[in-house]
Order: sequence, then C-alpha cells, then structure tokens
Amino acid sequence: MSGPHAPLPPKMALRFLKWFCHPDLIEDVEGDLCELYKKRLEAGKRAKADLLFAVDVLLLFRPGVIRNFEPFNTKINYAMLSNYLKIARRNAMLYKGYTFLNLLGLVTGITSSILILLWIHDEVNINKFHANGDHIYQLFRNMKQTGGYVATTPSIPKPAADLLASDYPEVEQVALYSWPMEKTIGEGNKASKFSGRYVSPGFLQIFTFPLLVGDTGSALEGLNSILISKSTAEAFFGADWNTQALGRTLLIDGKNEMQVTGVFDDPGANSTLDFDWLMPAQQFIKDNDWVNDWGNGSFSVFFTVADEQKAQAVAHRVVDEIKTHTVGATNSGDETLIIQKFEDTYLYSNFDNGVIHGGRIDYVHIMTGAVILILLIACINFMNLTTARADRRSREVGVRKVMGAQKASITMQFFVEALAFSAIAVVLAVGIAYALLPYFNQLVGKDLAIDFTQPMAWAVITGLIAGVGVLSGSYPALVMPAFSIIQSLKGGTGQGRGSSIVRKGLVVFQFAISTLLIIGTIVIYQQLDYVLNKDLGLNKENLIDVHLEGDSLEQFNAYKTELLKISQVKAVSGTSGNPIAYGRSTSSANWEGKDPSAGYEVNVMITDKDFINTMGMTIIKGRDFSKDYNDSTNFIINEVAATLMGFENPIGKRLSFWGLDGKIIGVVKNFHMANMHQPISPLIVTCIDPSGSSSMMVRLQGNLSEGLKQVEAVTKKIYPSMGFQYRFTDELLEQSYAGEQTASTLVNIFAVISILISCLGLFGLSSFTAEQRAKEVGVRKVLGSNEWQIVYLLSKDYAKLILIAFVIAIPFGYYLMQDWLNNFEFRTVLQPTVFIYAGLASLVIGALTVGFKSYQAATVKPVKSLKNE
Amino acid sequence: MGKYSIGGFEEVVLLTVAILFENAYGVSIKDEMEARLKRKVSVGAMRTALSRLEKKGYLKSEFGEATAARGGKRKRFFKVTRSGKKALEQVMETRKRLWGAIPPMAFDFKYV
Repeated sequence: MSGPHAPLPPKMALRFLKWFCHPDLIEDVEGDLCELYKKRLEAGKRAKADLLFAVDVLLLFRPGVIRNFEPFNTKINYAMLSNYLKIARRNAMLYKGYTFLNLLGLVTGITSSILILLWIHDEVNINKFHANGDHIYQLFRNMKQTGGYVATTPSIPKPAADLLASDYPEVEQVALYSWPMEKTIGEGNKASKFSGRYVSPGFLQIFTFPLLVGDTGSALEGLNSILISKSTAEAFFGADWNTQALGRTLLIDGKNEMQVTGVFDDPGANSTLDFDWLMPAQQFIKDNDWVNDWGNGSFSVFFTVADEQKAQAVAHRVVDEIKTHTVGATNSGDETLIIQKFEDTYLYSNFDNGVIHGGRIDYVHIMTGAVILILLIACINFMNLTTARADRRSREVGVRKVMGAQKASITMQFFVEALAFSAIAVVLAVGIAYALLPYFNQLVGKDLAIDFTQPMAWAVITGLIAGVGVLSGSYPALVMPAFSIIQSLKGGTGQGRGSSIVRKGLVVFQFAISTLLIIGTIVIYQQLDYVLNKDLGLNKENLIDVHLEGDSLEQFNAYKTELLKISQVKAVSGTSGNPIAYGRSTSSANWEGKDPSAGYEVNVMITDKDFINTMGMTIIKGRDFSKDYNDSTNFIINEVAATLMGFENPIGKRLSFWGLDGKIIGVVKNFHMANMHQPISPLIVTCIDPSGSSSMMVRLQGNLSEGLKQVEAVTKKIYPSMGFQYRFTDELLEQSYAGEQTASTLVNIFAVISILISCLGLFGLSSFTAEQRAKEVGVRKVLGSNEWQIVYLLSKDYAKLILIAFVIAIPFGYYLMQDWLNNFEFRTVLQPTVFIYAGLASLVIGALTVGFKSYQAATVKPVKSLKNE
Repeated sequence: MGKYSIGGFEEVVLLTVAILFENAYGVSIKDEMEARLKRKVSVGAMRTALSRLEKKGYLKSEFGEATAARGGKRKRFFKVTRSGKKALEQVMETRKRLWGAIPPMAFDFKYV
C-alpha cells in the first residue's frame, strides 16, 4: 500500500500547517500526521482520511504550536540597521566623488519633481473650492461654421437661461454671468477702473463666494445694488471697510449711483471666475434689449442639478432649444447647446468640433509623465552607479555572507542604504525647491507655495523618499546578494554579462528619453517660430489696437482726423474688433446661388474705408473701398468666402445679411483671424457704419513711444470719459500662444534636466570604466598607443549606446510630435533634419562627457597605473 | 501542589510516555492513550501537552529514523526525565495523602 502511488494528504492543509507550525515541531508533527493519514487510509475511505487530516491540522492551530510571528527580533534588527547605516556612511565618505554624483542626480531629479508636483496640484485644484461644485454645470453653444467646422462659445442667448429656470424641473438654480466689463467706480473724490461682471442673484447661491458683510440672499435683488471685493472696499473705505462699506453709494461711470449691499472676499488665484465687483444682471438687461433675442449670445450660464443622471436628462433635452426657438427667424443658425460640469471647464476647455477635446489637462498629463520620467532617470543613475561599483563592495558582501548573513539581509542592507540616500536627497531637494519657488512661480505665472502644515505635503515627502529609495535600491538589492561567496572574497563579483547588459539598457533608456526631449524642444521651437512669423495676410508690426467706446459718428470722425495729424501715425481705421482675433459672425448671409438648406457661419467685420490700407492687406480681385464711390452697401470678401460661395468671379455678385443688401466689389487675400489652431473663416467686410467700432487700429511709424504719447493725448481729448487702453498687435498674437510658450519653456527645462542627470550617470559609469581599465591603458601606452586611440577605445562602447538610444527615440519622437502638430491647422513640416540635430546634440553631449573622463585616463603616465599591484 | 505543577491531561500523557518507554512518539502515544482511556485524543491537544511538558523539563526528546510511511519525516521519541518522574510521584503522593485524609464516613452513603 505504501507504494509510490499512495495518495498524499490534502495539500492545502499541509501547506497551512507548514506555514503556521513552529519550525522546531514541524518535522515530527508532519510525520505523525502523515502516519495517521496512512493508517486511516488503510482503515477506510480517502475522503474521510482527508477530512480528519484537515481537522487535525486545524486543531493544531493553537498557541504552543504556532510559530512566533513577530516580524523582527527588534534588538538584533536595530543593531544591524545601525551597522548598515554606518557602513553606508563610511562608503559614502570614502568615495566622495561618486557620492556627490549620485546625490546630485537624485537631488536634481527630485527638486524638479517637487516643483512640477506643486504645479500639478495647483492646476487640478482650480475651481474646486465651491461647496456644491459637484452639481454645477455650464452651458456651451456650438455654432456650425463653414465646411462642417463647429465653433464653441460660452456666450449663451439669455432666453435659454430663462427656459432652463422655468421649464426644466431638474434644474435647481440658474445664474447669468456676463463677460468682464471695465467700469469707473467713484466715491467722493476717488475714482478708478475696476473690472467686474453682471450676475443674476442665483450666482451667489450656486457658487461659494461668501459675503464678508451683507446678506447673500438679498444682496443682488435691488436694481441699484453693487457688491465689491474686499480689496476694492479697502481702496475706497480704508482698513475699517467692514463697518464703513455697507450702504454707501458708489458712482459708476460718472452717472449711475449704486448702493453697496455686500463685500466678498477677492476670488483667489484658484478661481477662474474673477471680478472686482458684481452688479445685478437685471440692470444690464434693462439697458440692453438685444440680450432678449434667441439669436444673440450674451451671458455665460451656470446651473445646478441634484445628480449626474438629472444632468444627463438636461443635456439631452437642451440640445436643440436654440433651433426650436429660432425656426423661421432671419438670424436662425445651426446651433446646439451642450453642458459641461463647471469643475471640468478649466482643465477641459478645448472643443474640437463641438466636442470636449482636452485642454490644460493635456499639460497636466504631460507634466505627470515628466515627473515619472525624471524620477526614473534619476533612480536609474543611482542603480547604475551603485551596481557598476559593486566590485568595491564585493568583499564586504562576501564577508557578511561567510559570517552568516542571508541573502535577505544583504538585500535589506542595500535597500536601507538606498533609502538613506533617498531621504538625504529628498530633504536637500525640498530645501532647494523651497528656495527656487519664487523663480519657478515667475516662470509659470502662479503663486505656488509648499505648505508644511498640510499633511499632504508630508505624505508626498514620505512618498518620495520611499518611492525613490525602493526604486533605486531595487536593482542593487537584487544584484549584490547574488554574488558567489568565493568570487566575491577573491575580489571579483562574479557579475556576468547580464548585469552589464542591464546597465547598458538603462543608459540607452536614459538617453532615448533625453533625445526625445531634444526632438520635442526643436519641433516646438520650430512650430512657434512658424506661427509667430508666418505671413498673416496683414502687417502686424507697429500696429496698435486702441479700445473704443461710444457710437457717435462725429466723435469717431473727429478722432480719426486728430489721430492722422500726429506725425508718427501713418494710417488709422475703426473696426469692430482686432482682425487677428476676431469672432463676430452671422449665419444669415445670403448670396446668389446659395444652397438654402446649408447653414453657414460667416464672419462680418464692420470697418471704414481705410481698413484694407491700414492693415496692410492685399486686394487680389476687384477693388478696395474708395472715397470716390458710395460703398456703404458694397462688400469685400476674403478668398475663403469666395470659394465657399462658389463664384468663378465674385465681383459684382449680390450678397445680403443683417438686412443689408449689396454687391461684392473685391476679394481680399486671406488673413488670419484666429490663432493657427483654427482654419481661416469666410469673411465679409462692410464699411456701412464704422461709428460703433470697438477698436481703432492705428499704424505707427518713427518714434513709437512718442507716437503712443500723442495718441493717448488725442484719445483723452476726444473721449474724456474713456480710459486709454491699447495693445500691440504682435504682442496680442504672441499672447494667444501662451499655452504653447509654456509648453516650450517646460520642455526646454525638462530636456536640460534629463540630459544633465543622464550625463551625470554617464560620467560616473565612464570614470568607473576608465578606472577599471587603468592597467590595460597603461600597457597599451607602453606598447605605443597614443592618447586619442585610448580615448576612442574607452568611449566607443558608450557612443554605441547613445546611437541605439537615438534610433529608439526617432519613431516615438515622430509619432508624438506629429500628434502635437496636428493640433494646428497651420503647421510646420517635420523634417528629418530635426531628428539629425537631436541625435547629434545628444551624441556630442554624451561624447564630451565620456571623452572628458577618457582623456583624463588616457593622459595618465603608464608608470603610475602599472607600478602599484 | 509543591514545586511541580502539572495538569490532569499532562499527567496522563506523561504516564503514557513512561508506559511506552523506548517507543513513545506522537502516533504511538495517541494510540496508547486512546486504547487505555477509551476515548478520542486529538493530535493538537496531545502535541501541546507534549511541548509544555518538555518545556517544563519533565520530558526530553530526540529524533529517530525517518520512515516512508511518515513521508520521510523523522519520529520524535520522548522520554520521561528525572524531574518528570518526581513530578508524577509528587502528584501521586499528594493524592494518597488526600485519600488518606478522607474520613470513612464521607464515603459511606448509607447515612447520606
């Protein structure tokens, strides 16, 4: 019966027994159980024997049999721990150069990670302070443009908001929120400009902007009430504003008297809703009847619903409200409404054809990736430097093993060492990051701070220490204990090719990432250069855009005449907006042969007859507006519009919109009306009535600052109540690429950091190689090698690695950068030279690093390296 | 109880080990106890008692040979030590004294 095929006791029970049983007892207990099992098998069924075996095991699970589960014997562990730390310290002090390289790499990596983490933390917390943030939604309007392109805007026809409040039972609160408006606020003899918004009373209910004084419920009820920010209140009422402000009268724009009904805390940097004052929307609506039309977008609209499901219901129903309510009207557009959670509007602000398509979240992702990569590169340095120098530690490991150390305790030793290093590096990095914060804040335009009172800060610091320590310690802790005792006591390590391949792989990885970042740097630079210097179709140099208000034609004409008298002013033209950032459009344009079912959104620019000339645009067909003709119902269109309308020769064709009916007299060469992310829209230019212009485009020449001074004087003379605000068009253009500029700066910095860290590692590795091969170098020199042959010998292995890294980086670089470029409608072509430059750059940097150390090694006199044995 | 403390079950185990003399190991002790006491003895209970007795110094143990029936594991043979014997004797003495002190009337149930 006791043959080889006799059934064995149940495995699970046996494993359980082996796990819990005290090691002193396990052998005979297991033996006893096996013997009993055999007996029972002979006596009866197997199932019964199995069961009884399991029962016996369970009954053995009692004190006296269970082994000691305390994880460590603390006394011994403490002694070993202090020994590990002592040895680590001695090693660090003995090889100061390596320690320095190691720490420098880690500290650089961790410092930049801390700064980036702060940035990410700030980004994701923007707009997150509202108490019922989970329930706040915002309406957006999708406007179908030519060629299927959809533009999305937050400005919503006001009737849509009314409808939400009255007809949607799911919606709890609705708030109107106007675009920012500058108002001159005066009190006594003080007056200055403040930017603020008109909002409906629901605004204070939906959002958490608590009133410091005043009653939230009624503050916006009265038509003549105004709420001001704490800093505005301080400006007018001094330090004791909290007793002074309430009930006081403020003079708005020199004519309207408003009563202060509340003071709110300034919306902080983590709020995208920003205002110095709030006035009741009703007051604005009263004076601006046009907002009551379904065809005019005006306010931003926010609303609250109880839950996600109800929000979905609203989203579903609200889509076609504009179409339903404008059907048959002259200004009906192909427009739909969508909703987005308010908290998401900051990070997910890009709309691609009416669908949310990333936004700043992309940068958050990029930065998160960057943190991981940089930490990884820094940890790899640590691993490489530690394992490459394993020879130095092999005797120690050998002796430890002979004295009875188990593999596990050697593993523990190297983890402890890595953790100690990591702790020192993190502490240094936190200090450096703290010192660098002001500069970093300047760079990213934020107000970041490390708040040590937050448990979060400590959690991150601890996490960094543990993460970096465990990661960088993992490879040494794996390699070191594996040395054979005999080999290591002899002085070698018995490390095979395996570990050197891993090390080389890690170097390749580091340099692939660095090369990738260099590629990114070049491509982003090229694209920015392209978009900023591309021919816009107009001359953006020395062109300022002066903000205009009012609608008197005489005033407007007088202003123009006065401006032209200034010798530094070459040309002026009033427009309904700066042409390089333009968005006024109509969907009701009609022309001969238009497909009646097609809804096209066409930009309309209202200017005067000097427009084309002042802007430096080119007429390619027909003629410009002229003083010799009455051109008030004649139009100029751009090339895109000509193609859209499908005219072979558009000159003389009829065109109507906004109740205007006229003829096309000219075609202007395409110019950009938005940044290069967007295609050029079709455009109609009319000179019918420039009196309502919101911008005066002024072309300056000669001494700019003198010219500006004169323009300001004239502006103050003609429009005394209006402040002088101007923008240089080329600066405006640059500002519209702020996101790209930030990306460019950040990628540059990452590239530098990752190259720096990678080179530190490479430097360490190559100096190690040079040291190891010192005798070989000596022998070669004695036999007649010259220095450069030696440098070549020592460097060629590393050059190969950098080349491999380069080859790996190319496809990733190509894919990622093409993907990024695809965000632009107008983009530079990815040329092979980009990759060649990037490869050359990393090769040169790598070669210099390795070459420096190799040259040092090669110039050592052979007698020095050969004499000591 | 004197300086030798010992529980009832432990006493029985110790006695059984003494009975088995050179052949006292886990399974044989269990079998012997079950045969003599006419009741089931669990490996767990017995094993704990053996460990405890060994700790107290009443038993000593050494490994025997491994057999195939035990899955190649060795037997642990137990022997009663001198102090084990003293402990047993003390328990017996105590009992005897106690028995001797019982007045005859106490067990004469005619009068109860």
